[in-house]
Amino acid sequence: MSTTRIASLLSVGALALASLVSPARAEETVKVGVLHSLSGTMAISETSLRDVLLFTFDEINAKGGVLGKKIEPVVVDGASNWPLFAEKAKQLLEQDKVAVTFGCWTSVSRKSVLPVYEKNNGLLFYPVQYEGEEESKNVAYTAEAVNQQATPAVDYLLAQGVKKFYLLGSDYVYPQTTNLVLLEYLLSKGVPLENIGGGFRKDASGKIISAGKYTPFGHTDYQQIVAEIKQFSAGGSAAVVSTLNGDTNVPFFKEYAASGLTAETCPVVSFSISEDEFRGLPADKLVGQLGCWTYFQTLKSPANTKFVADFQAWLGKSTVPGIVKDGRVTCSPMVLSYDGVYLWKACVEKAGSFDVDKVREAWKSGVSFDGPGGKVTTQPNMHLTKNVFIGETKADGQFKILKAFDNVYGEPWLKGKFK
Amino acid sequence: MRKKLFIITAFLSLFSSLIAEEARECIARAAIAKSEKNQGEILNELMGRADDSILPLFDAWRKDRLYLHEPAGAAAIPVLLEGPKDAKGAQEAISVATGKSIGLRLVGDNLNAAGHSANLRRVMKAVLDLTALSSPDRAKKLSALAAIGQGQQAEKLPALERRLPLETDPAVVKALREALALVRLKSPDAEVKLAALRELESLQSLASTDFIKTMQKDPAVLKDPRLVDAARTALLAVERHRVAVDFGGTLFRSLSLGSILVIVALGLAITFGLMGVINMAHGEMIAIGAYTTYVVQNVFANGLALSPFGFSLNIPGMHTTGWWRESYFLFALPLSFLAAAAAGVLLERGVIRFLYRRPLESLLATWGVSLLLQQILKLTFGANNVQVGSPAYLSGNWIVGDVLLGWNRVFVIGFATLIVIGVWLVLSRTSVGLLIRSVTQNRSMAACMGVRTERVNMLTFALGSGLAGLAGAFLSQIGNVGPALGQSYVVDSFMVVVVGGVGDLVGTVISGLGIGTFDQFTQQYSPTVAGIFANVPFIGGGLQNLAQDSAVFGKILVLCAIILFLQWRPSGLFAARSRSLD
Repeated sequence: MSTTRIASLLSVGALALASLVSPARAEETVKVGVLHSLSGTMAISETSLRDVLLFTFDEINAKGGVLGKKIEPVVVDGASNWPLFAEKAKQLLEQDKVAVTFGCWTSVSRKSVLPVYEKNNGLLFYPVQYEGEEESKNVAYTAEAVNQQATPAVDYLLAQGVKKFYLLGSDYVYPQTTNLVLLEYLLSKGVPLENIGGGFRKDASGKIISAGKYTPFGHTDYQQIVAEIKQFSAGGSAAVVSTLNGDTNVPFFKEYAASGLTAETCPVVSFSISEDEFRGLPADKLVGQLGCWTYFQTLKSPANTKFVADFQAWLGKSTVPGIVKDGRVTCSPMVLSYDGVYLWKACVEKAGSFDVDKVREAWKSGVSFDGPGGKVTTQPNMHLTKNVFIGETKADGQFKILKAFDNVYGEPWLKGKFK
Repeated sequence: MRKKLFIITAFLSLFSSLIAEEARECIARAAIAKSEKNQGEILNELMGRADDSILPLFDAWRKDRLYLHEPAGAAAIPVLLEGPKDAKGAQEAISVATGKSIGLRLVGDNLNAAGHSANLRRVMKAVLDLTALSSPDRAKKLSALAAIGQGQQAEKLPALERRLPLETDPAVVKALREALALVRLKSPDAEVKLAALRELESLQSLASTDFIKTMQKDPAVLKDPRLVDAARTALLAVERHRVAVDFGGTLFRSLSLGSILVIVALGLAITFGLMGVINMAHGEMIAIGAYTTYVVQNVFANGLALSPFGFSLNIPGMHTTGWWRESYFLFALPLSFLAAAAAGVLLERGVIRFLYRRPLESLLATWGVSLLLQQILKLTFGANNVQVGSPAYLSGNWIVGDVLLGWNRVFVIGFATLIVIGVWLVLSRTSVGLLIRSVTQNRSMAACMGVRTERVNMLTFALGSGLAGLAGAFLSQIGNVGPALGQSYVVDSFMVVVVGGVGDLVGTVISGLGIGTFDQFTQQYSPTVAGIFANVPFIGGGLQNLAQDSAVFGKILVLCAIILFLQWRPSGLFAARSRSLD
């Protein structure tokens, strides 16, 4: 075979590929960015969000798209690498010119891309519970604010007669900030300082700058901390408020169970364990422990039943390379991603345009969507009003819903609010 | 005689059935009582009664499955719906009061469930707490006693007092006395309070701290100097006890962490220490052991479907139950040793034997192998952590003088001892051990004497890797099993071996235990020590803040100590001295 022939064959192949890859015509589609980690430590959690986003786009496209245009997803991989998140965001905004981006999981990745979105006046939908103390006009926070997860959980525990709270978390910005807010909240509810466990750090003037016990990611030896909790809870009516992240929960809960502590003697309410995390956690060690989210898969509503069934059906048919099809569940960050896409669609349709400023105005004017977790409504402060649920872990990694708080207004600025 | 016995049994059964009847009737009466207060009072009558019918009925009530059948013009009848549902969804209605069918089939959705408020649920819980007192299950009894003590409800006192002469188990008696004293602390009578404080003092009850402190703030107590004094001495006694418990607990935790470090590092002490191979894939040998445990667990259960590299592989299960299933771990131990040893042989034959005299290349090559193995594990078992359950005999605990000894930890300590002794025996008392020692000390000389060094190398490496596999089986009981499992232990392993002195197993054992002890003691006591320096200008506050994250602080201090130690003794605790090693 002569070289020219190979070259011509190659070029024909390339042409064929190009025609396959390029969209039919630019006018008929609108580009939407998906910015999650598909590799690295966060991939386990974030890939689920990519999956649910692609599912949502397919669902919307099947019904005619947004303003008559089909959604064309541009999926990029942040690779659990925070500076790379900023680069990818820049690429999405400046090269691909996406109308909106759905993405980020960790607070540090959000903080990393924030300047990029502000400079280019882009719009980022952020779906994972976070610490607050931030309000950018370029971010739509579909995420739970602290008062939509942490404080309702504490309210629930207080109503259950809990008098002592042990704060425990992974050492990074979300647990640290959340626990400081919780400290103020607990003090405002009349819980004395000596009933808050885990210890404090103070600055030179004696002001508390950090509350609770923190362990690094990947920490494995929880013997001493569990022994401390055991003594802390010896007098009863105590609970642990845990913001431990990821797989450090396994050694913690194994140690917890081995020491004879149970959900009856000292319940643990965890803010970072949802249904999706149970794919890698021993649920039987956590039976009876509490979770607090704006959605649980066990919610009984027609919208949720349909959502779960449709998502599973989509997974079954999906041809996305490497997608996990077995044992999949739905969880709050996934539903908030799903709600986010529909809210964006509603805002775009209300504004009659994909222009970020107009979409933002629509968001601020208040748009609602009946999602799987109930009705969500946009607020002028770029957050969401939504329902909050307290659930109890069952042995199958699902939650039994114990209490619901309806229509909680998302409030990002909580530091110094509770006196 | 037989007749007499018969009469007695008949009488007893009649008596118990009478009580059972009464408890049922009582609950039925409460379910239809007018006010919540009334309901509470009726249920209070059940306090201290041991009756098997109470728990299921309360359970049904709390779960909204105690229905009210309300026939027109007649009083409501509380019923339970039992048995299979028919086409209309109706079930057999069982009267709560009699426990017998009322001859009707009803649909649960059409009936009102008996209501219950938080207060009522609390009364139910109190009743159940007291029924648990006569339960044969010791753990249930102890937790019920703890709950009663913490509840401090005076109405439970008579039931507790009745129980005291019946109990013989010392732990239960202690818990009972503690509960009695805690409830009596609430008594309005100063004398009773005083006696309760003395009792708590002699019991050294850790649980009582909060309650005594609350009592100290009571203005009525503050007026009575005797009470103030007694409260102070009681707290002091408890505090002294706490210090002792903390110390004992820290010692135990040191031993357990030290044992883990020893188990993890022992394999490396052989491959790196004796053979001189900088084996970066040591961590993955640990992971192989842990995953073997996972596979064995699943084989004992319902089998396992894997898809390594896209092929689907079904490992059939044995579907065992009960004790058999629980015993999987005992089988997993030798298998994880063998699996890791086999992987070790492959690694030695395939890579390391070409690099015996080139430590730097062996470092890079084994690091590459480590990445490769991680990826293979990821592709075979998935990127998520897998779940390895703890068998029942590893998930309980002993409490010795308030120091908590988890069975998994005790097991680790015991097994570490066994392994160390075993390895020592193999190396020092067997001919294989002799060969291993001769080859590791002077390979060329051993070869000259006719030792097949190639084969001995392979065996030694297999032994080291197998020990790493055993470590993996243990780690599956206390932490995560994931592809990156080895990563978190490989650094610790090297640390232990280097501090112990390369080439000496005794050094590894002592250094493992030493590092474990140092780590746990700094974790436990660094906040206290920092507290002493709290008022020192400049560093006091900062030191306290550092010590607050004692888990991290402990690790940092361990590393600092090791650096300083190696400055002093660069070749570790036990330096192997041999001309051939120079």
